[in-house]
Amino acid sequence: MRELLKRYRFLLLAVILMLAAVILYSYNLRQKTATTFFERAILTFSAPFQVSIDEIVDGTKSTWKNYFWLVDTRQRNLELVQENRSLRVELQQVEEITLQNVRLRQLLAFVDKLDHPALPAQVIGEDASTWARTIIIDKGSNAGLSPGLPVVAAQGVVGRIIKIAPNSSRVLLITDASSAVAALIQRTRTRGIARGRSEYLSIEYALRNADIQGGDLLVTSGMGGIFPKGLPLGLVKSVEKDQFGLFQQVVVTPTVDFSYLEEVMVMVGGDR
Amino acid sequence: MRLFFLLFMVGALFALLQSSVFPLLLSPNWRPNLLLILVLYLALSESLFRALIAGLLLGAIQDSFSGTSLGLYISVYLFIVLTTQLLSEQFNTESRPLLLLLIAGATLLQNILIGFFLAFFATAAPPFHLFLFAIPPQILANIFVASIMLSLLLRCQRLLGNRSGLAGLMYQSKRHVS
Repeated sequence: MRELLKRYRFLLLAVILMLAAVILYSYNLRQKTATTFFERAILTFSAPFQVSIDEIVDGTKSTWKNYFWLVDTRQRNLELVQENRSLRVELQQVEEITLQNVRLRQLLAFVDKLDHPALPAQVIGEDASTWARTIIIDKGSNAGLSPGLPVVAAQGVVGRIIKIAPNSSRVLLITDASSAVAALIQRTRTRGIARGRSEYLSIEYALRNADIQGGDLLVTSGMGGIFPKGLPLGLVKSVEKDQFGLFQQVVVTPTVDFSYLEEVMVMVGGDR
Repeated sequence: MRLFFLLFMVGALFALLQSSVFPLLLSPNWRPNLLLILVLYLALSESLFRALIAGLLLGAIQDSFSGTSLGLYISVYLFIVLTTQLLSEQFNTESRPLLLLLIAGATLLQNILIGFFLAFFATAAPPFHLFLFAIPPQILANIFVASIMLSLLLRCQRLLGNRSGLAGLMYQSKRHVS
């Protein structure tokens, strides 16, 4: 018997240990929430190590994410910034095209009402001096334009072409001192000459007893042979009558805001 | 010939800037007149003959980009060239403040001359107050731009060496070498 035990002692020990483990497991299955002394000891012993390991792992992760990963993030950020910029530019272009569309629609509606063939043109330059009032448009003799043709905007008369090149023209604005347009007050049909005064217009030869009031609309009379009849020139701002004299002084604000002029129409022919 | 071709190119570039770029950024009275500054510079640094030809050419360019008729700026620039040539004999044009003062004077003279020519020759001159209000901002704008241009020229001169004299700067112009 002793010989037998001695011979299979390791096997017996293994079986006993296995049985003990099974019994322990079986016992612990019923005591789910209870912490054994062993478990408590292990947990207590391992806790500081776990904290340290956790900190190291966290540190490593943090370094990776905040440095190595950041390299990629920075690159991504640059890409996003670039994308954002290009999207903003596109948005601005869309807004610009929308505004231009609105302006061109107004211009076309105005020209339709005129019943005259017209050619659209873009304003590409202004006068290089401070005293003259001219603009440069991007259409010239190649587009069939010639000196003397009237130029209008959606709000009213802009001026007339005075100089021509193959692909551009110079337009004398109605506010230039050398510009004079035959005009009449729409309400009373009082006639006069609308003379440019740089920022505004004045009506020359408006008789003293003529009925002109602030807010009256001044339109072209069609007498000069350049502008068709009835195009808006401006609104009467003030009227002054001297004690003596044949005429009254009338100041007119142009209907067209020349500082924001971008697109114009050149009236290229007679009535349709 | 090379000088005049160069002048033509620079003049056209300045006129383009004045008619197409400055209007986008500045109100009419605050736009500097680059051509006037160039005319004044050439009047100080070149011989009378060359300065007159330059005034003629630059005046024609300016006339093409402004107003209604050719000849106004030609007359004004020729007058300014003559006056500057006479004055440059009397003053030390190497002095930078004096040069800027000359630019202020030339701007004033230009406006007076334009007002005079328009009043006496044109069918209808712009209102007189237009010129008066325009003069102070124009003088300031021209002085500001001229001082920047002089600084740039000075840098260019350092880069290129002093083989070409530049009036009003460190090195005396060819014309003023004793």
